[in-house]
Amino acid sequence: MRTKTPLSCAAIALLISANAFAANVTITERLIKSLPLDVGDSVWIDNPVGNIEVVGSDTPGLVATVMRTITGVDQAALKEGSEQTVVSFEGDRNVRLIRTILPHVHSDKWTSSVSYTLRVPRTVQVKIASRISGRIRVANILGNVTVTTFTGAVILDGVVGSSLVETTNGKVFYLYRQKPTATAQVQAVNADIDVILPPDSTFNWIADTLRGDILTNLPARAEFIGNAFRGSVNGTGGPTITLQTLLGNIRVLGIGIDVRLVQNVRQTVAERRSESPLLRPSKRIQLPISGGPFDFSASIADVEVGEVRGWAHVVTAAGEIKLGTVYGDCVVTTNGGPLDLGDIMGTLTASTDAGDVQVRSAREGGRVSTAGGIIRVLYNGGPISLQSGGGDISVRQAAGSVNAETRSGDISITADSQQRTQKFQAHTQQGNISITVGPRFAADIDATVLTSRPDANAIRSDFNGLTIKREQVNGKTKIHATGKLNGGGERVELFAEEGDIHISNATASPVTMGPP
Amino acid sequence: MSECDLMRESMPLLLTESLDPAQRELTHQHIESCAACGDEWLGFRETWTFLGSLPEVEPRAELRTRFLASIGENVTPFAPAKSRRYMRWLAQAAAVVIIAGSSYFAGHYRAPIRIEPTPASVSRYSIAESRVLPAAAVSPDIEGRPNIENVSFIDANPDDPDIGLSFDVTSHVTVTGRPTDKSMVRLLRYVLENENKVSPSRSRAIDWVRTMYSKPGNTDPEIAEALANVLRNDSHEGVRIKAVETLNRMPGSDSADTRQALMQALKSDPNPAVRIKAVEALVNLARSGVPFDAATLDTLRQKAVQGNENVYVRVKAAEALSSIHP
Repeated sequence: MRTKTPLSCAAIALLISANAFAANVTITERLIKSLPLDVGDSVWIDNPVGNIEVVGSDTPGLVATVMRTITGVDQAALKEGSEQTVVSFEGDRNVRLIRTILPHVHSDKWTSSVSYTLRVPRTVQVKIASRISGRIRVANILGNVTVTTFTGAVILDGVVGSSLVETTNGKVFYLYRQKPTATAQVQAVNADIDVILPPDSTFNWIADTLRGDILTNLPARAEFIGNAFRGSVNGTGGPTITLQTLLGNIRVLGIGIDVRLVQNVRQTVAERRSESPLLRPSKRIQLPISGGPFDFSASIADVEVGEVRGWAHVVTAAGEIKLGTVYGDCVVTTNGGPLDLGDIMGTLTASTDAGDVQVRSAREGGRVSTAGGIIRVLYNGGPISLQSGGGDISVRQAAGSVNAETRSGDISITADSQQRTQKFQAHTQQGNISITVGPRFAADIDATVLTSRPDANAIRSDFNGLTIKREQVNGKTKIHATGKLNGGGERVELFAEEGDIHISNATASPVTMGPP
Repeated sequence: MSECDLMRESMPLLLTESLDPAQRELTHQHIESCAACGDEWLGFRETWTFLGSLPEVEPRAELRTRFLASIGENVTPFAPAKSRRYMRWLAQAAAVVIIAGSSYFAGHYRAPIRIEPTPASVSRYSIAESRVLPAAAVSPDIEGRPNIENVSFIDANPDDPDIGLSFDVTSHVTVTGRPTDKSMVRLLRYVLENENKVSPSRSRAIDWVRTMYSKPGNTDPEIAEALANVLRNDSHEGVRIKAVETLNRMPGSDSADTRQALMQALKSDPNPAVRIKAVEALVNLARSGVPFDAATLDTLRQKAVQGNENVYVRVKAAEALSSIHP
């Protein structure tokens, strides 16, 4: 059954106000509606924009107080907004559905919001769907409660039954008037989660946040599995309270317990088991100069240090890492995020599970890897190994040997103009290879292209002396060029699949960066 | 003297293949573009053909003796075959010259010559998969050494004297124009989207597109659309990374189609760098106030809470969500 109640007929217009100094006109209407609802019934509220308050009582039946507010640029917009913002009471005695119906797309000349205050029998089940709200509050309910919203504060006050809250932004606040007896689950993205409950509550606690802190002043025995904290409070047993937020904080506090006893669970556990960066509290570091070695690890952290006067060791679970000059060896590891590294005097070891890597200078060479991303090295003074799971690799001034490998992407290596010979290895499973060397560069060239284009002229060289052979291999054309440049020298081994190889002759120095 | 008159004077020489290549090409082009001269040329050809078909008549003995006596030469008889071919060609040429000369002088003395400027009509060169060209439209001069492959001969109608020669030709073409010229945009789009045909060039093309079309004033929705298609369909991870990076930097790439491609990349691209750049692009769109629909919000939310996703991607998805005000 579906009953639409046109507000214009039933409502009492309380306030029509027009601001003389602003063009907008606002109208607020109030509707009070009573419907039968039994103790075991359900109430569903679907309200995209506006506050919702559901309060349980011992009185049977449902009483809804609805405030509809329309704001328009003029009277016509106000009228249109009023017509297109419909409050609908649907369902039957068992399931009451109260919803606000808005067009998917509407004129930007008006906005509307609807606030609901519902008094319901405290034993009913409550289900709320919202998108934007200042506040959703459910109080004094014994039945199950489900709240889904995008932004706004969600307050569950004295909810005894099972509860599930899904939100993206905003804040979630649980207040237990008595010890929890049913499962509660909060899944948020950016929201902070606060749970306040009697100090003698016994429950299993799962807390999971990537960037936020996990704080409690209750006695908790716990361990981390991955980055999720799993523990029990006040002994074993009881319901499970699961609190997940990606970037927000989680606080579980006992009523009446000194807040100075609050501890960061992640920190205390990390002291015992420090192998996983996920367990470290997240931080944002911005430091112009580190006077000595720089050793840092955190779960999620954006790290930026201008100068490190010693070695550097940075480990994070995720985040951007930017180091300027490092006067020693440099080890940088992150599970995800771009790396921007400046002048590394010592050996460089840098790896990220995802993201681009940029290195201005690796004077002693080293090893750089990304599971997916572009690697750019402006200068390497020692042997360097570069590996990408997918993405281009470029070395602008190679004064040391280079071993570059990518699953998919172009590889470009320019030899330092002072180099007479150098060992280069480049391997791409899908992409082009470009090697630029000086006119007197000497090397033994071994270049191979495997292509499905039989007519491809895939190996080009500005130098004479290469012998090119073609053959068919597993339905593809293999083009193999060998020969000596300037009488021969270090081995230059190039392999490109579904791409081409170009060995070019450069006479000018490619970048201004010089060797140490 | 008008251009047409000059061309008509050249027609007999064109028939006898006596024009130099440049003049020959010029004459052919004019005939193609000028209906009157085209008719004239047809007349010349028909006459030429007709003359060629006339039976050879042996002169009577007394006529021959008188002719030889009149020129005062002791002519040794030619070999019959040579003599006949040469004489026939000479006769044809002479007849045509006489006809052309008569026409010219008749026209010349009948009316004053007016030089009418005729605007050159250059038809647009379209790049097509297959094209049929009349032989007259093709310059007989082959420049450079283009690769001509897959040659086949076609004689669709044996009763028709026309034949066909079909081939693939590879030549180096440079098309110039403004970045915003539709032809240039379409050509780039073709290069970007045709994975199989231009595989090694595609990543370079995207580099170039990024440089060129990131400049204000050069934006074109078709380029963004092409990059979105590359992001969706290209098997080459390095190319997809470049495509999404370019979309992120290119102004005006905030269409629903682009957002859709970014969402799809974020959802399912196997390369984490593509997902990172896709979510970064979405963060930028969110911060610039581009409205996101419910499906986009849902995808971002799912990505943020997806436990097996790279942490950085999850964090970026969460940051995008925190910038959105639905």
